[in-house]
Amino acid sequence: MTCVERAPAESYDLEKIFNPKRVAIVGVSSNGMGFGSAILSALIAIGFEGKMYPVNPKGGEFLGLKIYKEVSEIPDEIDFAIISVPASNVPAALDACRKKGAAGAEILSAGFRETATPEGIALEEEILEEARKGIRVIGPNCFGIYCPKSGLTLLPGPDLSRESGEVAFLSQSGGMAIDFGQIGTWMGVRFSKVVSFGNGVDLRECELLDYFGDDPETSVIAMYVEGVEKGSNFFSVLREVAEKKPVIVYKGGLSDAGSKAVKSHTASMGGSERIWKAVLRQCNAVQVHGLEEMAEASLTFSLVPPRSYEGISVVGGGGALGVAACDVAETYGLKLPVLEEKISDRIMSILPKPGSSAFNPVDVANPLVSPQILKDTLLFAAEDDKIDLQILIQLLYHYKSLAMALGAASVKDVTPYRELADSVEEVVDKTGKPVIIVLPNNKRELQSMDLEEMIRDARDIFLKKKIPVFDDLFDALRAVHHVSKYYAIKQRRWKEL
Amino acid sequence: MNIIEEAVKRGAKTLSEHESKLFLAEHGIPVTREVVVSTEENAVLAAEDIGYPVVLKGSGEALSHKTEMNLIAIDMRSEAEVREAFQRLTSNPEVTVEEVLVQQMVKGDRELVIGLTRDDQFGPCVMFGLGGIFTEILEDISFRVAPLRRVDAMEMMDDIRGKKILDAVRGKAPVDREVLADILVSLGQIGLDHEKIREIDINPLKILDGKPIAVDALVVLDNE
Repeated sequence: MTCVERAPAESYDLEKIFNPKRVAIVGVSSNGMGFGSAILSALIAIGFEGKMYPVNPKGGEFLGLKIYKEVSEIPDEIDFAIISVPASNVPAALDACRKKGAAGAEILSAGFRETATPEGIALEEEILEEARKGIRVIGPNCFGIYCPKSGLTLLPGPDLSRESGEVAFLSQSGGMAIDFGQIGTWMGVRFSKVVSFGNGVDLRECELLDYFGDDPETSVIAMYVEGVEKGSNFFSVLREVAEKKPVIVYKGGLSDAGSKAVKSHTASMGGSERIWKAVLRQCNAVQVHGLEEMAEASLTFSLVPPRSYEGISVVGGGGALGVAACDVAETYGLKLPVLEEKISDRIMSILPKPGSSAFNPVDVANPLVSPQILKDTLLFAAEDDKIDLQILIQLLYHYKSLAMALGAASVKDVTPYRELADSVEEVVDKTGKPVIIVLPNNKRELQSMDLEEMIRDARDIFLKKKIPVFDDLFDALRAVHHVSKYYAIKQRRWKEL
Repeated sequence: MNIIEEAVKRGAKTLSEHESKLFLAEHGIPVTREVVVSTEENAVLAAEDIGYPVVLKGSGEALSHKTEMNLIAIDMRSEAEVREAFQRLTSNPEVTVEEVLVQQMVKGDRELVIGLTRDDQFGPCVMFGLGGIFTEILEDISFRVAPLRRVDAMEMMDDIRGKKILDAVRGKAPVDREVLADILVSLGQIGLDHEKIREIDINPLKILDGKPIAVDALVVLDNE
């Protein structure tokens, strides 16, 4: 299914666009200023796999690459073009790239419909006409495409990860695309493809959703959208795609459009926020309200097995844990079932006393409890059939005091986070029940930068083992809630339909 | 005869309550038994036909806020009460009332609201929620985009905070969700089939022995 008045999505074309072998970068100046030069430096920095052909009428050289004066002078056919020339020159550049064989082009230049001027709108119409002649357009007024596999990257994205993952992201906002790309890098979200489509004159939400719905490299789709081109189309595409794989939607600008003259109660209560919420519920899309929430949901969807999780065990200690965990879980429709007596007895037999308790949450009483005991605790708790997923909270910052008491050179030397990561990995492998790690840091003063560094190192080690890591329990439960709800609804509808 | 086309042709901006219900009934939505009369004698005959008690309402396209305009007489239990009510409604000093709606009195034990609106982006959308005065006070409502699948209709009933109102509470019969789902699906279909209908309010949709019945209804036309 595609949007109206669009050429049908030729997945072959899109493949070529995401994984081009030869790319023209139109609008590169030899002095290194401007978007064109910035994107070329970014492509080189990230290690783009294909050939790059910079173009500028003045010619010259940049970063060791010859700058061609015209697109037509490029000695090869090209697959893709990145265009960053003044708005009025864009249609001609697009035409030249199409004649050179480009399947698509991303237009970084601004100065089109978003200016709301007659000239800007007319230029955008010209771009659409060029596109219809046979070149797919991303943008204008966008930050382009990021594809870790090929090394294509967003405008300010020289340092994004080259590791491919399962999450596709499509975004009207270029800033949101680069922000998610950066957050993903440290949070552990790995992308298949990211598209910032800006004004979306040609390729935009419906067609991209449809494409990612069928893309074997993508198993989770996230999107940031402010407005859609045609609501009813978007609705049917979203519903169809969300039946195949999770679609996480961050809708920007939800406040009501203003007072329409309406006569009925029904109409007066159907503001845009309510209707959007209804649309997303109806399509079983996952609605999030911020960038971090979107990233956390993407991470969790991509790392835990696809199913709904109802019963959660929470294991931790040395902090305010119990009541807060229960309250938050309940808010998100999750349960912390009391563990079977024989299981909690076994856990109690290995926990330090006094101060510990083993109902659920399991309070291990002491933040310095060994990885071995934590591993056994998790293994025992997993034997309870009511437990579907486990959360382990580790207050690693308490090791700072230990390091000081022992006169250790570094807090890393006394903190057993590597052993802990191995233990947790073993638990997941043995039990088949996912474990999520929460690593809060309540010591963030400048003097404790060593802690910050250690916790980030620990985070990376867990993530390498495909174990999701969060900063706080609330965020973790919210993300589990999103996953659970999506699969619960999917399963229920499957039965009913 | 097509009620909508006719009303559009005469330039009406809304259908009267009675026309609205005739239209909804044509689409399988249960409504109160009622008759429009213009004489006191016919009001009495209608009341006897429908069965006491009855409700009398001033009828007409312009009369959409009948309670505020004092154009409703509820729980009329005898011929004398009907005659008196007819006289009172037709001699309202503020507004000319030529016709009176004589209607089955539905006490019911719960009030819901369902409606139709048109969203600029997504087109016809169906609303469901708590009815009567609670509609505006609590705004406990949910929406779905048309066309509604049956599962959408079922899920939107569960979306409101007060969804327990549909259960067998306080010795009342549980609300027949299947019939409610039929109504919600029909309303969405009406939105898709009739471009000239801009909005619909069915409020209250009362529950009588577990079955929903539209007690008041308003169809707003797109007749600019």
